[in-house]
Amino acid sequence: MIAPVANSLNYQLASKLLDASVMRHEAIATNIANAETPGFRRIDVASDFNRALRSQFTGGRPPSPSDVAAINPHLAVDANVRTVRPDGNSVEIETELMAMSRNRVDHEFLTEIVSRHIKQLKMAISGRVT
Amino acid sequence: MELLTGIAATGGALNSQRTRLDIIAQNIANARTTRGPDGGPYQRRIVSFESELLRSTDSANGAKSPGLATVRVSGVTTDPTPGQRVNDPGHPDADAQGMVTLPNVNLAFEMVDLITASRAYEANLNVAKNSRQMALKTLEIGK
Amino acid sequence: MAIIGSVLPVNVQSLRPPLDLAPSREMIAPKGPAIPAPSGGQFGEIFEKMVSGVEQSQARAGEVTRSVLLGDNPNLHQSVIAMQEASLSFSLMVEVRNKVVEGYQELMRMPV
Repeated sequence: MIAPVANSLNYQLASKLLDASVMRHEAIATNIANAETPGFRRIDVASDFNRALRSQFTGGRPPSPSDVAAINPHLAVDANVRTVRPDGNSVEIETELMAMSRNRVDHEFLTEIVSRHIKQLKMAISGRVT
Repeated sequence: MELLTGIAATGGALNSQRTRLDIIAQNIANARTTRGPDGGPYQRRIVSFESELLRSTDSANGAKSPGLATVRVSGVTTDPTPGQRVNDPGHPDADAQGMVTLPNVNLAFEMVDLITASRAYEANLNVAKNSRQMALKTLEIGK
Repeated sequence: MAIIGSVLPVNVQSLRPPLDLAPSREMIAPKGPAIPAPSGGQFGEIFEKMVSGVEQSQARAGEVTRSVLLGDNPNLHQSVIAMQEASLSFSLMVEVRNKVVEGYQELMRMPV
């Protein structure tokens, strides 16, 4: 009876994407910190994380929450950079700042989904609206 | 406890950029110093950066992944390029031919460097601000 | 004055309550869900499962929070979410207990 508290598919999905969003922020912080370090290539959450999540949904029926919970994000060197400077550094500060801004909005959105789910369950359990 | 994501990387970068700004300020201040403690003209200093691994993010099954890295100043070196020589026989530091060797500081370069370093510093401050706001939002989940 | 005693040809026997005054289990809740008894029964099992589920989710929240406290896990949000989930499970259990106790008390208040 307790497991269904955390069993909603969207809730698990948002939870995983929140993990990825936090990891992405760390990656962006690393990139910006090393914007002038010779030889440094920018890193990001590996793109196969999103692909793996999507592929769960392209089958006939939607995945179970535990399928979604098994996929974890990880970091990888970004192979699709536009420019690599002569000293080997591939970080562009403007790109990183825009990515951070977008990631910030993602993070707030996902936090809102998770928070709302929890608040609704609280309302259902206690019977009180606030 | 690492409550603010990425803050260690940002801290290292802020320190490094501060050092770089200090060195640039020193270069600019000594752009006309024709006699230093060693008797010769001031030679510009160069800061070099290197990344320092903070945390490895290899997954449990051994899959390799780039770790999270901060940056630190690996050294302050002297630029050995000889500076410009001008003809000024009346100058106290003129040599036998009446030529004075100026420091090899190019003000235009230094100003561009200064602006780049300031921008990098501000970008890192921006990251720190975002880390803090994200953490505060996280703490409000469910409230 | 024989009229008073003999007006209504009612069968008085049928109005008398049955002599067995102790209410039997079937009378109170004929064939309904089993009333919680100290020996367990269906509802007791459900409740036990709920308690162990709550224990599990509290233990998990404790694990994640400890790893965040010790600095092994940089994901603060996982700790916050685990703690909220554990708190929800616990609230659910407490509410169920309250309702059961209320129901039982109301039952005991019923006049027989």
